[in-house]
This record gives sequence, structure tokens and C-alpha cells, in this order.
Amino acid sequence: MSAGASEPSCSRRTWLAWLLGGVGGAGLLMGGRPAAAQVVEESGSHRDTGPLTIRVGRPFDAETPAREFVSFLTPNHRFFVRSHFGPPPSEQIAEANWRLRIGGLVEQSHELTLRDIKRLEAVTVTAVLQCSGNGRAFYRPRVPGVQWERGAVGNAQWTGVRLRDILRLAGVREHARHVQLQGADRPAVPSVPLFTRSIPLEKALHPDTILAYEMNGRPLPLLHGAPLRVVTPGWMADACTKWLTDITLLAEESEGYYMRTAYRLPLDPVEPGATADNLTKPVEAMVVKSVVAAPAEGAVVPLAPVMIQGMAWSGESRVLAVDVSLDEGKHWQPARLVGEEQPYAWRQWQLVWTPRVPGSVSILCRATDESGAAQPAATPWNPGGFLWNGWDRVTVTVGG
Amino acid sequence: MRNGRRAAWFVMFAGVAAFAAGTQAQEGDSDLIAVALAPRAESLIVARCTVCHSDDLIAQQRLPRERWEATVDKMRHWGAQISEEESNLLVRYLSARYHPGAPERLAPIELGTAEPLNQETPIDGPLVGVAQRGAGIFEHNCQACHGAGAMGGMGPKLAGNPILKHEDLFWETVLHGRGPMPAWGSVLSQQDIADVHAWLSAKDTSR
Repeated sequence: MSAGASEPSCSRRTWLAWLLGGVGGAGLLMGGRPAAAQVVEESGSHRDTGPLTIRVGRPFDAETPAREFVSFLTPNHRFFVRSHFGPPPSEQIAEANWRLRIGGLVEQSHELTLRDIKRLEAVTVTAVLQCSGNGRAFYRPRVPGVQWERGAVGNAQWTGVRLRDILRLAGVREHARHVQLQGADRPAVPSVPLFTRSIPLEKALHPDTILAYEMNGRPLPLLHGAPLRVVTPGWMADACTKWLTDITLLAEESEGYYMRTAYRLPLDPVEPGATADNLTKPVEAMVVKSVVAAPAEGAVVPLAPVMIQGMAWSGESRVLAVDVSLDEGKHWQPARLVGEEQPYAWRQWQLVWTPRVPGSVSILCRATDESGAAQPAATPWNPGGFLWNGWDRVTVTVGG
Repeated sequence: MRNGRRAAWFVMFAGVAAFAAGTQAQEGDSDLIAVALAPRAESLIVARCTVCHSDDLIAQQRLPRERWEATVDKMRHWGAQISEEESNLLVRYLSARYHPGAPERLAPIELGTAEPLNQETPIDGPLVGVAQRGAGIFEHNCQACHGAGAMGGMGPKLAGNPILKHEDLFWETVLHGRGPMPAWGSVLSQQDIADVHAWLSAKDTSR
């Protein structure tokens, strides 16, 4: 049976929650009603008040409101979603049909079922995933693309198997240098290039690089790549291919638009507004960054002690310090790092601030990592609008 | 209300006149140009762009003309069915409405009745859908969301969908949209819709 368009039974919010929360993924794997059969009742009014701020309705791109970042783990239904083409048809990723193929420069090609994969040793990594374009909206001049602000990032527990265990099954041949990752998602029009990415073999063989089938202890939700996605801790999420179906070992980086043109940075600084030149490198590791989660943008705070809270992270380094400024960066005071510290997770921080005078105040924060890298006031411009890590800013009104 | 609409039409006329006179797109003229071009440009956006992505992706950009040109070129290169003339119109419209100086929140343009892209030739007698034609129209306009073979994707599976038996609801949905589905009334002709319906209804739904 199909829910079809004649049974309007589900509000936009419940539909979203259903798709995001993993019920979709689980239902799907159990051969339940495909996501496609769900009906969405339009209201439009929940656009900014639901679990996510929707940037693009289709394919679905949505970010987490920064106020939600007060928790160490980001719940699945609030976790940002970036889609190049959106989820593949449900039949293709149903457990009965889905296979992971490993080929290219390997001793022996393999085809694995989800059950085969789950027989391998399970590992859990808590890691930040962040869209490479997070903060693109802050670049001037403006850069084309989804205008992400502060919330295309999240911290979750990912459970799955080590990519290197899968690669060892197949046997990596001597001259393989790159691992190509291909998901089952397809563009609406076949002439649009596929989202095909590759990562260097060293990153693929790193013991913390995993293929995840669980997110925060529950089956990977459909919009997050069910049944299996790549997680490359410390690296930007453009390497974290969703709906993974094909792993191909190559001597060179993958061909194609999404590897050779998009998701690249200029090797040398470029003039703001210039177009990309030939000397570029792929976006890989995350850069040091911090965000103010509370108080929220536009909040009215009392003339009394206020708890400023947020989180900070860096790709392959430890966060050493977070500083807060309440006078546009003239003076900085250290925040207290709190909570869990794990290699690829974000670190929470807080600072008690006692405002002295009523009026409008901007709270700025900047993090510094162990390598000595610190957030700049504004990230040098790049044509793709990637890796924004300028000081974060929240403006509040101190009440009388 | 009525005055507002009349004013909008006047502004639109003025915009067309200004454009026809070959006025350069000065900062102050861009609103007029956007209003003048909007009816056809917005129809084109639904017909050619929203096949792959919703129009909110467009509306959040603030780009100079050369970036819009590059973007429309890229989309044509990737298979967007945009003719040279349509491409020029789109670039003119997009760079007038979504330029770097445009405010974050733009006032909506009163479109009135969107200009149909397909000029209907009046047909005599009842409308009969041709399933064979419907396959191509579906592939071009509907498949992006409803999946190859109408087996579902981001949008509902339409093969075997009960709505096919409720023609009034089918037409209502196609013409006016529903939920995240845009209205196709200004894009598809009556014959197109009938053809798609015929093709969908004839599909083998045993699988």
C-alpha cells in the first residue's frame, strides 16, 4: 500500500522528524513504507522554529540552530543535513538489495551485505561532522552556494567498522594511493556529475576512519546516509559519503567535478572575488573554530550574571583555549573548558559574564588549538566559501 | 488592494519600457527590471531549475552579473534545458533581483498571473492523454522527485498511487502544488498533464 497523495496524514514537522530521526531508516530497512510514500502537509510557518533551519527544501539542506549546541551530542533529528541529490530510492538501500562493492586496485573484488559488515569488529568514535561550506554566508564578497551560517556542524557518536578492515578483506594493491567513495544518491538529470569523492589511502587506513551504521546508538537515519556512511574524524564532511555503495582503489585522486573542481581551496591566497585558478588542493582537515550557543542571537539578558556557553573544535589538533570578548575584540578573557575531552569531538566551554550597563553587546569568541592556530577575525576569502572560521558573534540586549 | 495591483502593473509596464529603451542596469533600476522580468523568469525557474533544486537555493544568493552568468552556464552545461534566449533573460532577472546590494529579505514581487511558457492551441473535444508522450514529459519534469519509473524518490511513488483514480485531486495537485511540490500550472500544458496521467495510469503496478 502507499500513503500516496490522497492520505494527508502527516504534518511537515512529523514528516521531517520521521525522516531525520531514524524511524525512516529503520522502517526502510525492515521493508516498511518508503519515505517517498509519506505526504507532507505544507505550512511553511515552521521553517525557522522546527528542529532545523531549512536552507534548501530540495535537495534537503538544513542546519541546526546554534542554540541547540549547548549539548555535547547533537540529537539525530537536529543534526544538520547536506544533500547533493537527496536520498536514493528506498528499494536500492533496503537491506535485501543493498551491497557494498570494493574494487579497483585490490587483490580480490568483494561484495558485502550489511550483515557481513556487522560481523566485523564494531568501533565507536565521537566526532564532529561539519559541512565544508559552514559559515559561507559570512564571506564578503558573497560566494555562490548554500548560504550556511553557524549550524552546519554537529557532534555525534558514530558506530561502525574500520574502513581499513574492509580494505584488508579485499587486499590493497601496491600502487593504490586513493580510495574513491560513491554513494547511491543520483542527480535528477543524468547529465549532472555524480557526487564522487576520494580520500588519500593514509586517511582511509587510519584506525579512526570508519564506515558507520549507527548514529548516537540508533540506526543511521535515512537523511544521514542509511544504511552506511563514511566518517573521517577530523576532516570536513565532504569526505563522509552517505548511502555508500562503492569503494574503488585508485592510483590517482578521483576524476570528476566534486573532486577536481568543487571542494577545493587555492594553494596561495587569492584576491577576494577572484575566480579559482589551477593551483588548488582538496578540502581535508577541519580548522580551529568555536561557536557561542547561549545566550542566543537577539536574546534579552538581565543586568545580572549571564552564563555564556558554547563549543570549540579543531580537526586533528586539541582545543587549548577559548577566549571571549565583549568589546569587539579589544580585550579577551579565557573561558573555562568543561565536560568531556575526546580527540575528534568538540569541547564545551563556559564563561560567567556580569554585564554592567544596559544596551546592545556583541559576544565574540575565538579558539586556539595545540598547533598554535587561532581563529582569525575573518577567514581569508576563497572562491568556494569553504572553511569559514572567523570569530563567532552573538549580539544580545542587556535589559535595565 | 486594487490600487496596489494597478500600481504593480504600472511599475511592470514602466520596467519593460525602461528595459526596452536599453537603459543600463543602474542600482536604482534593478528593482524595476526584476519586476518587469519576473513573470516569465519565475515561470522559467519553475520549469527549468526546480527540476533539480527548489527555488530557495536561488533566492538566498546575492551575486554580481558575471557570477550569475557563470552559474547559469554551469547549469546548462549540466543539462538544464535553457535556451540561449532564456539564459539571457534569467541572467538579467537574477542579477537585477539577487545582486550583492540586495537586502537579505526581499519584498515579494506581485506576479499577477504567471506567463504560461507553453502557448496552448485550443483543442476541440475532450482531452485525451497520450501515454507515450507522457513518459517523456514525466522524465523531464517529474522524475527528479518522483523517481525513475515513478517509483518514488524524495516525492511519493506515483506508480499505482490511489490519486491516479481521483482525477480531480491529481489535477489539483499538479496545477497548484502540494506540500513541498511546486505548482506546475504555468509550466505544463493541459495536454502535458493529461499525457502524464495517461502514462502513469497505464503503468504496470504489479511490482
